[in-house]
Amino acid sequence: MAREFQRGHKARISDLTAGTDLYVGVQISAPGLTFDISCFGLDADERLSDDRYFIFFNQPKSPEESIQLLGAQAGDTESFRVTLDRIPSQIRKLAFTATIDGAGQMSQISPGYVRIVAGGEEVARYSFNGSEFSTERAVMLGDLYFKDVWRFAAVGQGFDGGLEALLKNFGGEVLEEEAPAAPQQPQGGAAPGFAPPAFGVPAAPAPTPAPAPAPAPAVQPAAQGFAPPPGATPPPAPNVHAAPTVIAPLAPPAGGTVHPPAPAPAPYGQPPQQPSYGGQPGAPMPPGYGQQPPYGQVPGQQAAPYGVPQGAPQGGAGVTAALQAFKETPTGQRWTQQNKKLIRVDLGIGGQPVLARQGSMVLYQGKVDFSYKGAGFAGRLVGSATGQEMQLMRCTGNGQVFLAENSTHLHPVELQGDAICVSAENVLAFDESLQYEVRRIEGHGIPGGALFTMQFQGTGTIVVKTHGTPVVLPVTPTTFADCNAVVAWSAASQVIVSSQVRMRRNAYPGDTGESVNLQFRGAPGNFIVVQPYEV
Amino acid sequence: MNQPLAGYAPAPVTARMENHGSHMLKVAMQTGNDLLARVGSMVAYEGFIQYEPNPPAVRQIARDWITGEGAPLMKCSGDGLLYLADYGANVVVINLNGDGISVNATNLLAFDAHLQWGVERVKGLAKFAGQGLWNTKISGQGWVALTSRGKPIVVDCGGGEDETYVDPDALVAWSPNLKVKGKRSFKAQSLIGRGSGEAYQMAFSGQGIVVVQPSEDSTDRLRIRG
Repeated sequence: MAREFQRGHKARISDLTAGTDLYVGVQISAPGLTFDISCFGLDADERLSDDRYFIFFNQPKSPEESIQLLGAQAGDTESFRVTLDRIPSQIRKLAFTATIDGAGQMSQISPGYVRIVAGGEEVARYSFNGSEFSTERAVMLGDLYFKDVWRFAAVGQGFDGGLEALLKNFGGEVLEEEAPAAPQQPQGGAAPGFAPPAFGVPAAPAPTPAPAPAPAPAVQPAAQGFAPPPGATPPPAPNVHAAPTVIAPLAPPAGGTVHPPAPAPAPYGQPPQQPSYGGQPGAPMPPGYGQQPPYGQVPGQQAAPYGVPQGAPQGGAGVTAALQAFKETPTGQRWTQQNKKLIRVDLGIGGQPVLARQGSMVLYQGKVDFSYKGAGFAGRLVGSATGQEMQLMRCTGNGQVFLAENSTHLHPVELQGDAICVSAENVLAFDESLQYEVRRIEGHGIPGGALFTMQFQGTGTIVVKTHGTPVVLPVTPTTFADCNAVVAWSAASQVIVSSQVRMRRNAYPGDTGESVNLQFRGAPGNFIVVQPYEV
Repeated sequence: MNQPLAGYAPAPVTARMENHGSHMLKVAMQTGNDLLARVGSMVAYEGFIQYEPNPPAVRQIARDWITGEGAPLMKCSGDGLLYLADYGANVVVINLNGDGISVNATNLLAFDAHLQWGVERVKGLAKFAGQGLWNTKISGQGWVALTSRGKPIVVDCGGGEDETYVDPDALVAWSPNLKVKGKRSFKAQSLIGRGSGEAYQMAFSGQGIVVVQPSEDSTDRLRIRG
């Protein structure tokens, strides 16, 4: 379950996920505008001291590939892959920003978000929309920053200037006239403990708005392994403006580790990395592992360390700690949703019985009695004739009853004198104070001549169940729904059966299968609920 | 081509058992630290892992299962990463720290082989069709993974006088120190087809927790497949 962030919220990454291999997706859009989404790798003083950590369209990855730009995918306008434990120690903050390319202002943007996906699950999401901004042309969306541990902060702060102003704000320099991208310094600051004062030479790779030739997105060997040994005289810093655009390391590999030849982009965009068996080539392998890349993985892909940590998990050990996430939510109201699929009714509050579908009780505490609820003679006659029959039980007494059925999603709907139409098989439970009756929808082309639904009215709560996450649509002049998938609608809207009558349909085989649709009409404020499941 | 799937790569291993998403279990296997898992629950593995269905030790302990109840287990040994799942059921990982848990056989996914475990007949219950009669009680220091159809709920029994009643079809696990009773809400009405649909419940009392799933479909899908 993704954690929702509001502007200003902060959290430790370790509280969100145990992983350090994060996918950061940004969605931001506005009609007619294009956005540049970039990531600034800042040092402890929040300065962009090393411009190779300014990750944007012209520089899609950092030298050791701990930060990579992946492009638009999976609904995200732009996405990054961040491997936290490989980010060099001088980079303390990754600021994710979006700037408008060209004219426009941030108040025009549609609802968007920043999200973090790890281990196959979205763990954090910060949503924003245009109403939070005004005439800004850039926005700082969120930060991954290091304070004892890596943390995420939802920033959402607008910035008046564009990309250049943002870059100046972070201490970078814009070299407008440098059309070819400045070469990258080969002996860069990625080498720990070896920081030549070469940064005095500002060599920003000119993020000119005009697309400059990309600074060679060739695979760079990981910088750490190739750092010259400390104490060695660094090669003279080449004149930035005269140096050829080479990115090969000047120093020979120091550690003796041999990288496999630059691999083709591995699946999942994983950066090349030494198999983490710790053994350097030539070192004795554990028996059984052979000499081939372990486990047939793509060479260069990170092999999971199987040195299994056996300690207790972060939340503490023991049954109680492990199940903390599934604790019962506290009482207070008559109907409390425990999670998407489970609801609790406290019969003691309100003091009236609850009618529930037979067999839907999964657990109860206290003195509760379950009895058969008959529909009465007339009710049964109507029920069997219309199919809108409910097998109900009456829960009375004093206690809490937990209701669920077949992992369907449950939605408590509170009625305050208004009415809702629900088809009978989608009703899980309701307060006995509600009145209900069978309503008939007539129309041509319906098998059996008419459709039936239950209308609930009065003051109380009804629990509707759906297979899967439903969609709630406002009723507009052109709202149609499949009569098998529609779950409920507000009773004030008028239902018309619109069957697609075409000569061809009757004349030839090859029905579309979507013959009977319901059209809804009503005043604004009415809604319909549709489930992704056709009964 | 693989870019849209990038977010689903496994997270680095930080513990012996972890969730990958909420429906898949990832176990870091190591020689000498074997795992007992439900037969048929493996969906993927990396490394050298061997499977031995119904090893003699299990057969000894679980001989009662031959009677038709319970879940067959396999012993997994080797080095690597093992991924387990049960038809999209939610997976709950528990790190036992000297305490114990009693699990419905169909809701057990995997556990460390070095844990103390045994199949027990739930006391105080008469045999009733197909459900919860045989339970696996696990205790010790190690990891257990359970499955639940839908996100489970954990209810504290509180230790008061009020008993907690659970539909046996929805029951997943409970603390082994709880007292269990059967309760029949059986009335004369039920005989004439007017039952409430809740004929039988299990009553728990004492200090401890009960884990319940939001589904009453308790059929053993792994077993149906064979």
